[in-house]
Amino acid sequence: MADFLEVDNAEVFEAEMEEESISRLKEKAKRRKGRGFDGGVSDRDEGDYDRVEDLGEGEPGPQRSIEGWILFVTGIHEEAQEDDIHDKFSEYGEIKNIHLNLDRRTGFLKGYSLVEYETYKEALSAKEELDGSDILGQTIAVDWAFVKGPRKTKKKRN
Amino acid sequence: MGDDFYVRYYVGHMGRYGHEFLEFEIAANGLLRYANNSNYRNDTMIKKEAYISPLMLKELRRIIEESEIMKEDDRTWPEPDRIGKQELEIVLGSEHICFTTAKIGTLNEVLRSNDPEGLRVFYYLIQDLKCLVFSLIALHFKIKPI
Repeated sequence: MADFLEVDNAEVFEAEMEEESISRLKEKAKRRKGRGFDGGVSDRDEGDYDRVEDLGEGEPGPQRSIEGWILFVTGIHEEAQEDDIHDKFSEYGEIKNIHLNLDRRTGFLKGYSLVEYETYKEALSAKEELDGSDILGQTIAVDWAFVKGPRKTKKKRN
Repeated sequence: MGDDFYVRYYVGHMGRYGHEFLEFEIAANGLLRYANNSNYRNDTMIKKEAYISPLMLKELRRIIEESEIMKEDDRTWPEPDRIGKQELEIVLGSEHICFTTAKIGTLNEVLRSNDPEGLRVFYYLIQDLKCLVFSLIALHFKIKPI
């Protein structure tokens, strides 16, 4: 009976393990502050979380998003404009989407951006060529935005 | 695994349409979880998750560190009320905060509170966090209309 349970509930098991490691992490912290510690139970628990289909063989690496591949860029000069990003990145492929968020307090750029390409090749070449390059004299870092999670044990159903 | 890290933000209320809330959390292993719930017109909960890259985790840490939210305290902040509640929980290194307060509508409410400076830090940080998370969820999951 125990073996049967283990295979069938592999996903539930994993979710519990993740929550366990999060609560262990919270307990490790030495200094606590705030009124929220006697908090109630979360209402999030019904149902699983949706995720984008992981088509790979379970190996670690970048994760495709719903319609393309998304890069994350940091170190962007606060006075840069969307055109600066567009001009630099469009050299490697057609840009499908750019998010260049502002710092809500200062009105300048927060310093990061998200750039989407349709194909893996375009995104990979942009990442390799532009990581460590400059915008307005400031060095940027470029990496994938989303990655594959840890490998899950496949459930076997006969 | 480096310094400990965890962020969770919740904003919500109980009302005519059930427990309406937005909540997201990011753990040190890069797992981002997002939930949005309402029973308005019999709607059901939206739950999304994805793993973010180490560079993004690093940037999220930077945003939190630069805000200096860990130096603040919610002792004198407005308590959650019927209108709603906000909760921000962060583990950063050896410090663990869990601040709760009422919903904040405007900067004016912040400035008129008992701790305008601290609440202002909170107010802008959650805007920056929401901005990032909404961008991530929209880009990763939303299909572009034709």
